[in-house]
Amino acid sequence: MAVYVYSVVAADHPLRLNGLDGVGNPPSKLRTVRDGDLVAVVSDTSGELRPKRRDLGAHQAVQERLMADGTVLPLQFGLTAPDDDAVREALAARNEEYTRRLADLEGCAEYHIKASQEEAALLRRILLESDDARALNDRIIGGDRDPELPLALGEMIMREVQRRQDAMAAAAVDALSPFAREVRGSPPTGQDFLNASFLVGQDDEERFLSAEKGLSADLGEGVDLRLRGPLPPYSFV
Amino acid sequence: MTVVPQGGDSLARGGGGGGGTGGLYDILELILDRGLVIDVFVRVSLVGIEILKIDARVVVASVDTYLRFAEACNRLDLETGRKAPSKLTDVVGEVTEGGAHGKSKGALTGAVEAFTESLQHGSDDREEEQESAVRRERASHRSARRREE
Repeated sequence: MAVYVYSVVAADHPLRLNGLDGVGNPPSKLRTVRDGDLVAVVSDTSGELRPKRRDLGAHQAVQERLMADGTVLPLQFGLTAPDDDAVREALAARNEEYTRRLADLEGCAEYHIKASQEEAALLRRILLESDDARALNDRIIGGDRDPELPLALGEMIMREVQRRQDAMAAAAVDALSPFAREVRGSPPTGQDFLNASFLVGQDDEERFLSAEKGLSADLGEGVDLRLRGPLPPYSFV
Repeated sequence: MTVVPQGGDSLARGGGGGGGTGGLYDILELILDRGLVIDVFVRVSLVGIEILKIDARVVVASVDTYLRFAEACNRLDLETGRKAPSKLTDVVGEVTEGGAHGKSKGALTGAVEAFTESLQHGSDDREEEQESAVRRERASHRSARRREE
């Protein structure tokens, strides 16, 4: 039977998995597969899996439980090995690499931050600050039917929205980076303009969090900053 | 701003994981796209996962986008800081939702939001419904793409 693999930890990890369920319906039973000084947390699976709330939550809960007692290398959701031997072989094949990563990540957690901005507030500010944009807007509202006007206004606004949001995203990363060992940004999704992960050591955690609070105040009203963490270091394994 | 002081608590509560996962959506891409990949392992086929990856925020420099921004500006009432008279706003709002706004936001965002609902509140029964909703959204996104091309 195929095995679903959650995490890799050092063999001296306490592995308190009691009370946690694995992925699947009915929930699978968590167990471990050991090779030398590394342990993989696994459960048996029929192979069929969907990215459901329950299964994503189960995957995540295992990482967080392990993280509470030590360092964890969280696997990407959905990875399965044909059997326990294949897991042991995989651990043995990359033993050095995984051991080094576990050492590198000791005492660190990932913080993930996203930000979005209320559009009306941003547009209002742009119009108030840009005479050109306001003049175009006034002509349109005043009844000028020239079809070029909305295009010109829209292009101007779009460029300004991007410029401002790019600047805010850069400022946010600059403000938080001094307290992070590593930073990993990625393209924002949906309505967000910022999407970045920070690897933060225990010693810097307080300063990182207070920098984030300051940032939230600096960005001002209409900007919604969402901080998630401490998380298992998904982005830094 | 929301700070989750212990990322684990919200998820681990209830013992089974996945309960009260308001923050799970924001880290979905981490769980799905990041994390250690062991190349000899197989990734099980995951219905719905690819749509989450495509949900990149793409503000396309297009006539539609320009018009949407222009309309949004025209609707603002700069004097009072409020929106323009509600009658007009309602009408324009509806048109915009159905037209340029809906398109530039992307049908996918809607799909992911539907999916998120299931992550945040859904029972497993509802998840089945959400999955079919996601499929419908994907179909409509494809046709939207064709229209743009």
